[in-house]
Amino acid sequence: MTQKSSWEALPIGLEMGPLEIVLDSNTVKKRAELVHWETQEQLEKLGFTPPGITIRYHAQMKFAALPDLRASIWAKSEHEFLKPMKVGTKVYIRGKIIEKYVKRDRNYVVADYETVDEEGEVLMRSRETTVYVE
Amino acid sequence: MEKITRSLKVGDEIPILTKTAYMPIDPNGRNVIHTDDYARDFGMRGALIGGSTLLSYVLEMLYNYFGQNWFYHGKINVSFIGGGAINGDIVTAHGVIKAIEKEAGSNRLTLDVYLENQMQEKIVVGEASCLKS
Repeated sequence: MTQKSSWEALPIGLEMGPLEIVLDSNTVKKRAELVHWETQEQLEKLGFTPPGITIRYHAQMKFAALPDLRASIWAKSEHEFLKPMKVGTKVYIRGKIIEKYVKRDRNYVVADYETVDEEGEVLMRSRETTVYVE
Repeated sequence: MEKITRSLKVGDEIPILTKTAYMPIDPNGRNVIHTDDYARDFGMRGALIGGSTLLSYVLEMLYNYFGQNWFYHGKINVSFIGGGAINGDIVTAHGVIKAIEKEAGSNRLTLDVYLENQMQEKIVVGEASCLKS
C-alpha cells in the first residue's frame, strides 16, 4: 500500500490559529512602507491600518499548521471588509481548511479566515484558494 | 479621495495606480515559491512576489477611490493568473465600473479589477464592489 501524500492526508475542517497580531504603529508603518502605501499619513490620522494589512499572515498560519507544505501559491483570493483595523489594537485570525481538489494535475486547498478584534467583532472575512506543493 | 463631480456610468474607469513591485526575499522563509531557484523550476521568471503584496496594490487603488467606505463595505474576489510578478516589475492596478445598484440608500458599484505588468500582461483579475457615497 502506498503512503498517502500530505495533501491527501490533509483533513477538511483542519483549524489554523488563532494567531494574535499586535497592530502597533511600527508594524503598521513597516508594512505600509514595504508596499509603498501612498496615503499612509492620511490613514495614520484616522488611526486605521491600510485595508488587508493582515492578509499576508494567512500563509504564515497555513505553513504553521501544515509542516509538509513547501510552496503555497495563490490561485484565488476573496475578502469582505466589515470594519477598519485600528492602529494600537490586537486582532486575532482564525482559519479553517474547507475544501481540497485537483485541477490540471495540481493540488488545491481552500481555506476560510476570519479576523476579529479584541471584542470578538468580525473585521474581515476571507476565502483563499492556493496551489499546495509538498 | 475622489469626489463625485459627475454621474457615474458603467464603463467608467477609476483612477489607476502604478507601483514598482517589490518584496524582500526572506532567506528563512518557508514558502519556496519566493526563491529564484524553485520559482524558475516551477516555470516562473524568478522569485514570485507574494499574492498579498499584489493584492495590496489593488486594495490601495480601491481605497483611493472609495475612501473610508471601503473599510465597511468593500468586497473583492480575484484570481492570480499568468506568471505573477517579480521584483522590479512595473504593475498597474485598474478598475472599470460594470454595474451600479441601489443599496442602503447609496450606490453599490461593482468593478472589474485587474493588475497588469509592464508587458500589459494581466496577473490579477477579478471583481470588487463597494458603496459609493
